[in-house]
Amino acid sequence: MASKNGISRRDEDEVCPVCKSSRYLNPNMRFLINPECYHKMCESCVDRIFSSGPSSCPVAGCRKTLRKNRFRAQTFEDIGVEREVDIRRRVMHILNRREEEFDSKRAYDDFLEQREEMIANLVCRTDVARTEAQLQRYATENMQSIRANQAIEEEEASSFQARMTLEQEEARLRRQLAREQIENERREIQAGREDMLSRLASGSSADAAAIAREGHKVLLKKSSARRSEEDRIRQKQAALRGSELKRSGLSASADMASSSGLIKGLRKIKTPEPEKPYDPFMGYVPEKRDYYTLQQSYPSVYLDRVKNDTRVAAGGYDLREYYARTMVEAFAGLGCFVEDEVAQRSVA
Amino acid sequence: MIEDDIYRTSSQFRLWSYTRPALASLRTKTNDIASERVRAALQRARPAQQSTTPSAAGTPQPGSDGETKKPEEKQIECLTPEEELILVRYYCEKTLELGETYKPPLPTMVRATAIQYLHRFYLTNSPMTYHPKSIMACALFLATKTDNYYMSLRQFADGIPGETSTDDVISPEFLLMQGLRFTFDVRHPFRGLEGGVMELQAIAQGQAPPAPHIPNQTAQNLLQKLKSIAPPPIPSSSINDRIARAHGTTRETLKTAAQMTDAYFLYTPSQIWLSAFLLADKPLAEFYLDTKLGGPLTETIPDGDAMETDLKNPLYELRTKLFKVLTECSALLGAYTTLSSDPDQMKGLKRIAKKLYHCQNPEKINLKRDSGQPAVAGAADSGQVTSESESERLAKKRKLELEQKARSGASDMFGPELVAERTKQ
Repeated sequence: MASKNGISRRDEDEVCPVCKSSRYLNPNMRFLINPECYHKMCESCVDRIFSSGPSSCPVAGCRKTLRKNRFRAQTFEDIGVEREVDIRRRVMHILNRREEEFDSKRAYDDFLEQREEMIANLVCRTDVARTEAQLQRYATENMQSIRANQAIEEEEASSFQARMTLEQEEARLRRQLAREQIENERREIQAGREDMLSRLASGSSADAAAIAREGHKVLLKKSSARRSEEDRIRQKQAALRGSELKRSGLSASADMASSSGLIKGLRKIKTPEPEKPYDPFMGYVPEKRDYYTLQQSYPSVYLDRVKNDTRVAAGGYDLREYYARTMVEAFAGLGCFVEDEVAQRSVA
Repeated sequence: MIEDDIYRTSSQFRLWSYTRPALASLRTKTNDIASERVRAALQRARPAQQSTTPSAAGTPQPGSDGETKKPEEKQIECLTPEEELILVRYYCEKTLELGETYKPPLPTMVRATAIQYLHRFYLTNSPMTYHPKSIMACALFLATKTDNYYMSLRQFADGIPGETSTDDVISPEFLLMQGLRFTFDVRHPFRGLEGGVMELQAIAQGQAPPAPHIPNQTAQNLLQKLKSIAPPPIPSSSINDRIARAHGTTRETLKTAAQMTDAYFLYTPSQIWLSAFLLADKPLAEFYLDTKLGGPLTETIPDGDAMETDLKNPLYELRTKLFKVLTECSALLGAYTTLSSDPDQMKGLKRIAKKLYHCQNPEKINLKRDSGQPAVAGAADSGQVTSESESERLAKKRKLELEQKARSGASDMFGPELVAERTKQ
């Protein structure tokens, strides 16, 4: 990289590596770079070579195809830093998960580490193809969540901006108000004093003390009125700030559910299941039986005597209870195969 | 099947159902542990005996002591698991007879419950440790209580032939309950049999509704089929007569064979009564099962048809499995003969009883001491049964002690002083 000789470049003898014209000859010369290969060249060279469409880099040994619209001024003096910042910006743009999307702090930290690793891979040119492929796949798979997060970020940035300007505006207003107040106060005191002097001048000497007291009282009253006015203004400002906060809070709660193979530990966003109708027996149907259909009465010589006995019926005994129990016991466990089920039980 | 799930919740299924190998290994294990204990106990008992014999003989001889010991050790021959099983079965039969001696005789259900208690108890306990004779009466008395057939203890003890005090009956009760794991519910097949017979009679009168899984049944074609089944082994005048006869035979089987064998451990009550029914009147029982599970037996129809019915009948798998289990169970029940009816077996039994006399665990013979007042018995130096007044005195003393403890605890809210303990150390 060009880090070794990048420091003393803004000199007069800075030379375009393509056309070899120096700043000495052309003091307005600007150098441009292209993020494809980061080779530096002067503005006139870019115009000359790339005006008629994409062309290959004129630097010897570099066969990258460059386009004119991608050329831009250099931000950092060091080309390496410039490149890293570009890569970082691009990767961060894609892998823009937010902390609140993760299950735990640990998962978020893992994600950050993974991102740094990818950036480092790209910067150091190790495993570039694989990393790029990963990025690409992630970008296509999580288009929506990336967009949503970008929107959130923008919103945050703009709201931050707005808040900053609002605060500045408030501070300015406060200062102005304070200035005006001081001015007003001064003027009032002046006026009061003048008024008092004039009254003293016109009145008798006996009234002097009374006039002086009255003037003092008026001054006090005015200052207390002013104070209440200040309070009112402060309250209004506080209310304004509160509404601002509420608005920003609403926009931040938009979250997106997405599954991706690349990032682990993302919080699962569950959609609540629709509530089922209430079933008091948990799926059990009280009267349902599988082996038999219960009848209202069964023919039995032995039971007929009981059935027709008023002494039994008077006690509240219902023969159907006997039928139900007897039939359940006749078939309870018919399909339970002890040999199999108990063997399974001992295994488990 | 809902009925099956109902049965699966029972303690009989959860705790007292075993596979054949599990049952066998459990019995062997119990026997091994018991033999070990018996040998150890007899070993412990011998020095005490010997200390009395030399004093009578006058001169103790160390050399002869060793010689006498050796053959004696060989002599301790414990019962095998099979012998134990025969012994327990004999006492089960005795229980049945004992129930008969009461006036009026104890209900079948009570006797059956007592027999099952004995079976369950001797799964984890050996007759060498606790003699079945003492447990038997207690099991029967416990069964009268769990089966809601009230009898006072005195009345019960008076009914037992021979000299039996109320204490003899009641003393092993807690021990027995422990052996039963405190599960007193025994599911019997008797009531199930009544249900089956009830339904068969309904079919015979043409009043039967179709089974839930076979909706195309009608009362009429059920009656037709019932009339057309193969004739019973013993010819009977009418269908009702046939059903009644099968009912009686099945009931008799359930009373004896089902009780004395391991059927309760290996099968469920409904399987037991159906296999007993199968034993009594095979065509009738098969007909009845077919009304429940649908489809004729596979061996009676050609292969092609069988395949088709397989596809149609959702219960086919259950049916084949069930028939296998039922035949197994009926074979088990059919092979049973009472011990007392076979002179050979009686001879064997006498031998076992003689053997048991020698290998009875001497430390467990006095059950009253074990179960009556365990804490007091431990405190009392004599080891004899404490008399009424003695136990009363001890109870009073214990009560006083408890009161004192409570009082001291109440006075100090945070327990005794810690400093005292520390100075002790």
